[in-house]
Amino acid sequence: AAAFERRVLRCAAEHHYLRVRLELPDGGARPNAAQFKQLVVTALRELHGEVGAALPVDVLTYEEKTLSAILRVISSGLVKLWSALTLLGFYQNRRCAFRVLQTSPFLLALSGNSRELVL
Amino acid sequence: MVRFKNRYVLCEVVSEEPRCRRCIEDRTLGLAVRDAIARVHGDYGLACCSISFTVKYLNAYTGTVLLRCRKDSYRLLCSALPFVRYLESRAQRYPCFLNTLHVGGTVRTCQKFLIQYNRTQLLRLLQNCTNEEERQCIQKSLLSCSLTEEQSQSGDEEEEDGTE
Repeated sequence: AAAFERRVLRCAAEHHYLRVRLELPDGGARPNAAQFKQLVVTALRELHGEVGAALPVDVLTYEEKTLSAILRVISSGLVKLWSALTLLGFYQNRRCAFRVLQTSPFLLALSGNSRELVL
Repeated sequence: MVRFKNRYVLCEVVSEEPRCRRCIEDRTLGLAVRDAIARVHGDYGLACCSISFTVKYLNAYTGTVLLRCRKDSYRLLCSALPFVRYLESRAQRYPCFLNTLHVGGTVRTCQKFLIQYNRTQLLRLLQNCTNEEERQCIQKSLLSCSLTEEQSQSGDEEEEDGTE
């Protein structure tokens, strides 16, 4: 009789990737990459405190023209990051909003977007 | 059945300044703990832990504090307790820290633990006595405490153990 072993991996990927866009309706100065990361960490600090601010979040790419970025976060911290981004309302006393365009545990999946697919 | 379960966290306030004992009150302590939770866990943590948060019991003489919170958020509370660095009252700030002694599900288990803990602490105090006067003093107060002596203080079971 052959012995076999069954392994079930739930959410095996250790990082999650998010493509987000920051909306700043008033035409003011745009944040650069460092200020963008500071904004993300500030959002985490407001909602989840020092523990949230210490979450390992990386800004992989950032485009200042379109204010869109790809963020990477540890999988256990995805809920904290996403909720913090949702509830962020102000950047330097200007109204702002984060729109999450795509999210996936695989970075490759963020390259194609079936929402903007033109058939 | 379905009910709300609470966790009771027993801690003691340790401070080097003797004047800190006077400002140990339920309101100041509650505010200090909530402030620490807000700093460490943010708005979400503060809201989570504040659902059923009270200072259930407080003893300024021994610095014993019993806090209550929901079972779902007691870990947030316990992890924020080391961040309480000072107690503030009447524009006076005293540095102190909170030592977590026990986490129990009911007030009764915490009370049982506290009685046991106080017994061992009294014995340790007796061992650490430096001169004979202190020793006599402690021995006298130990032998004199009894449950039936004063009717008004019969509720203080947590402090003195009755039949010693």
